[in-house]
Amino acid sequence: MIYYIYDGSFDGLLTAIYEAYYRHQEPEKILRDGSIQDNLFIEHVYIKADQQKAQRVYNAIVNKISPAAAKKVLYAFLSEAEDAATTIYRYLKLGFKLGKSVDSALADPYVFRVHFLHGKVSGEAGKMLGLVRFRLLKSGIFYAPIEPDYNILGIIAPHFKKRLPTQDWIIHDLKRKLAAFYSQGHYAVVPFEFNGALSLDDDEFDYQTLWKEYFHNIAIKSRINPRLQRQFMPVRYWKHLIETPGGHSKS
Amino acid sequence: MDLHTKLKILGAAAKYDVSCSSSGSSRRNRPGGLGNASLPGICHSWSDDGRCISLLKILFTNRCAFNCLYCVNRATADVPRASFTPDEVAQLTVNFYKRNYIEGLFLSSAVYKNPNYTMELLIATVKKLREEYQFNGYIHLKAIPGADPLLIAQAGKYVDRMSVNIELPSNAGLQLLAPQKNRDSIIKPMGFIHSKILQAKEERKIYKNAPLFVPAGQTTQLIVGATPDNDLKILRLSESLYKHFSLKRVYYSAYVPVTQHPNLPAIAGPPLMREHRLYQADWLLRFYGFKSDELLDEGHPLLDTEIDPKSAWALRNLHLFPVEVNRADYEMLLRVPGIGVRSAKRIITARRYSSIDFETLKRFGVVLKRARHFITCRGKFYGERNINELTLYQMLKPASGKQSGAEPSSEQLTFSSLYPNLFQPEDFHTVITGEM
Repeated sequence: MIYYIYDGSFDGLLTAIYEAYYRHQEPEKILRDGSIQDNLFIEHVYIKADQQKAQRVYNAIVNKISPAAAKKVLYAFLSEAEDAATTIYRYLKLGFKLGKSVDSALADPYVFRVHFLHGKVSGEAGKMLGLVRFRLLKSGIFYAPIEPDYNILGIIAPHFKKRLPTQDWIIHDLKRKLAAFYSQGHYAVVPFEFNGALSLDDDEFDYQTLWKEYFHNIAIKSRINPRLQRQFMPVRYWKHLIETPGGHSKS
Repeated sequence: MDLHTKLKILGAAAKYDVSCSSSGSSRRNRPGGLGNASLPGICHSWSDDGRCISLLKILFTNRCAFNCLYCVNRATADVPRASFTPDEVAQLTVNFYKRNYIEGLFLSSAVYKNPNYTMELLIATVKKLREEYQFNGYIHLKAIPGADPLLIAQAGKYVDRMSVNIELPSNAGLQLLAPQKNRDSIIKPMGFIHSKILQAKEERKIYKNAPLFVPAGQTTQLIVGATPDNDLKILRLSESLYKHFSLKRVYYSAYVPVTQHPNLPAIAGPPLMREHRLYQADWLLRFYGFKSDELLDEGHPLLDTEIDPKSAWALRNLHLFPVEVNRADYEMLLRVPGIGVRSAKRIITARRYSSIDFETLKRFGVVLKRARHFITCRGKFYGERNINELTLYQMLKPASGKQSGAEPSSEQLTFSSLYPNLFQPEDFHTVITGEM
């Protein structure tokens, strides 16, 4: 039995898939470095990420399967699920055999799993489009901290580029220590760490208060339904909101 | 009066309007402008009653000339009154929007002085937002019943969605509770908006840059439980609104007893379960190919509060079931309780490639607890054998205590009043054991 070990990057994963094909090997699993279980019967093969090989695999996915499949693979990868790499590998193997109709083979567990992970990631990205909260800093920059389950920063950044093109903003993924910096038409996603206190603009507090009050007042008292609220907006997303959900308790 | 107090009064006054969606428009940002609209809509938060907050929903003013009995802002009510200025509304919207609190503005108003005067104030506000503040986010504007069609046409150029609230599903109800409104003052503007939308669409087929007119369409709202109008009447009204005016949504709002009056029903709390069932039925009309007279008829004019309308329909039509999931067409799959649009589509896609087994159905999100009684999978039936409508009914009911939003006991609508001939669970027990 062979396990492929890659460096955790998307290029690394695609390189592993490239190598499996050209070495005529069939790895049992593809795992990211650092998540290896030791076992006498398993041979570990370390794969070095190679951008050119990765690009060739990516082009093959787009041309031989479909652009939609390439998107699904990328999103499934961003889920950071432990089985994501292996699942993607099996999905692509079937995909290169079936072409674009691989996405109809939903009864195949790997195909379904890729669709499922894609759904989870795009679902969270969609939710985050609404839940991101910017705070205006003294420097005139709008800053928003987030802690999403999946690595969705790169998916949501283009939305804010289109929507808020005239203001400078930063969206900071505290969990992955990544931030998207935007200014005047361009943004970059770079590693970023910051733990200090924010220096807020003078008007910021007033608008935060207005929003908090509005949020509290909009609820209809005779319909208070904390369960429904948490179903749509799980508690783990509350931390970086401005408003305070759950302020009414049902009597 | 400071902005905080105004927002408190005029935000709270708008909360009984249930519409919140920001969908249906793909308005793009302009160079140097702020914001755009997202076609599927985006929810930004969920308030403590579990409703989505997408738009800054406020009244321009709650000073009202009308005296509709069900309304908190009726002329004779003793509530604090306030009015915004167009600039205040625009400032609030833009600043909330820049912080990503909201998707846009939902601007409604009480009838201040007269319908035309109010409509002009609303137009001045949205015009200011679009032109002065370069705001391209979502705007939902209420059309004031009785306002001049010219004003409505003018407003439509600036906004993404417009709505006229019907509120009470019959003319008799309007006369009883909202004597200053009548059917014509509500239906006429809806018809007018509809024809303008069609006209703008035609123009855009010829000239790419022809102006937009209410690109996200129109909606309306019906209050449930303030008048004796039954579910059949409400669903028929919705059905014809979807058909004739191409409405995007009909919202149902459980009547919240905000005031007491001899013409109003005395209920302890809003009929939430009835509202929920109406929404389910509404979805069946729009996405599942059902007709209102399949769900209800003159003999049974109310939706069952115990089980969902699709299960209720299936129980009345047991002769159509079970269906084979590997062969049934899409329309029939949609009619199986426990199969929704998403799982039906998955089934259709997957079986093109291979036949589907029972385990796969589970992964596809089919609710087998309900569906297994109505399907076969590769020819095998997984439900209970020798079962009749009545026992199935008991099985499809949610376990007691689990049901959320159950009716308060003083609500006139109860299970036994709907089905006086059916057994209660205790009776049922005695029937099968034979003990009395």
